[in-house]
Amino acid sequence: MSHHDHHEGHHHVLSDSTALKTILALLSLTVITVAIARVDLGVLNFPVAMFVASVKAVIVCSIFMGLKYENRENTVIFSTSLLFMLIFFILTFGDLLTRGDVYVKGQIIPAELQAAGPSKFSKPWIESPEIIAHGKGLFAAQCTSCHGDGGAGNGPAAAGLNPKPRNFTVGEGWKNGRKGSQIFGTLTKGLNTMPAFGSLPSEDRWALAHYVRTLGPHSAEKDSDADLAKVGVDPNQEGGGGSAEKSIPLEAAIEILSES
Amino acid sequence: MGSTTSVAGQRQHAHHFKNGREEFEACKQGMWIFLVTEVLFFSGLFLAYAILRVFYPEMVAAAHHELDWKMGGLNTVVLLISSWTMARAVSAAQRGQAQKVVSFLLATFICAGIFMCVKYMEYSHKIHEGLLPGSLFSFKDLLSVDKVGLFFSVYFVMTGIHGLHVLIGMGLILWIMKRASRNEFGPNYFTPVEMLGLYWHFVDLVWIYLFPLLYLVS
Repeated sequence: MSHHDHHEGHHHVLSDSTALKTILALLSLTVITVAIARVDLGVLNFPVAMFVASVKAVIVCSIFMGLKYENRENTVIFSTSLLFMLIFFILTFGDLLTRGDVYVKGQIIPAELQAAGPSKFSKPWIESPEIIAHGKGLFAAQCTSCHGDGGAGNGPAAAGLNPKPRNFTVGEGWKNGRKGSQIFGTLTKGLNTMPAFGSLPSEDRWALAHYVRTLGPHSAEKDSDADLAKVGVDPNQEGGGGSAEKSIPLEAAIEILSES
Repeated sequence: MGSTTSVAGQRQHAHHFKNGREEFEACKQGMWIFLVTEVLFFSGLFLAYAILRVFYPEMVAAAHHELDWKMGGLNTVVLLISSWTMARAVSAAQRGQAQKVVSFLLATFICAGIFMCVKYMEYSHKIHEGLLPGSLFSFKDLLSVDKVGLFFSVYFVMTGIHGLHVLIGMGLILWIMKRASRNEFGPNYFTPVEMLGLYWHFVDLVWIYLFPLLYLVS
């Protein structure tokens, strides 16, 4: 048996008419692709465009590349690339779309905190052991990822931040000051890489301010009525400087973390 | 590889194959495996594009208006036609019509040339307007759009690497044309033409997706 025998009659030769029909079909599908892009199908535009492209791809693979005319081996081989591409996409998006609660830990306000329950503290700007204890719990949940468990500014996420998170254990260097109202203001509005926590109920922000003050050397500075007025508190009325803002500063936090 | 070539595609297969048919099938399978690696190579770029679409849909929508769909559409048509002429070149090689192989390969080469000319016009327009990747982006009307330079990073890398494939393909076409004109191919031996065809159709395949993704986003 010479190799000559094995060659003849085995290879499929694409006929000229099939080739012509194929190119005409591909060109028609291209016209369709452009035409549907001009029509607003809402969310369907993208899937339809990808479907038409895939029909074209299958035509090219099966007829021009000849997969249709041979045994299945090469089809299976080529399909594995699509399988691995799918795995690649699923793993990557599985990561990217669920990063929020990993990287932004501390910036997400738990729903139970956002829900404004009955106020436990009628005048939260006044320091008390109870409100400091409340602030300690909030600090552990909200602040330690950046500021560290002991408040020394050395939490796991601190490495990626510039400027670095405030070290609460020293009394100097506080940009906005270290009075309760000043810390309350920083919590409400944010400062550099520190996101705004205005979405926390005001009494929680006060509780955090009081707790944070206990982490460093004792400070004798007290809030005057004027200080309180600056953050919207009337010392003669109950409440605590306005209600919580509705929006969560999640986007701001992602922005800060992604730039670092 | 230890094989010799004589006239009109009469060729002794390499000694480690049972026959020419087996040699051909092995070559073709190797080519398909190469194309698998090509898909994986491009999939990283398609993924980068998908991430942009998911995270910055408005940016992608605003940026794509700066691409001329007529240019992209023209290139799609040109590349599809080149796939057709390439398929005809393979058929002609199988039938031992050397002159037709050369003619169809020349037609394919011309289509590829048109594709690259259109690409050149698109690129020079974008460079002139400052529609450039990343921080080089300086097109005034879109400067306010957040992260818009990323779209053009992806655009230039995707179309650039695809264009590089076209250029490599053009070189390969010239080489196979030369061999065809020496009457090297016939019904018993047309492996290089077939492999070139597979490569060229793959380049077309990538563009089939690039065109709607980059030019026709809605």
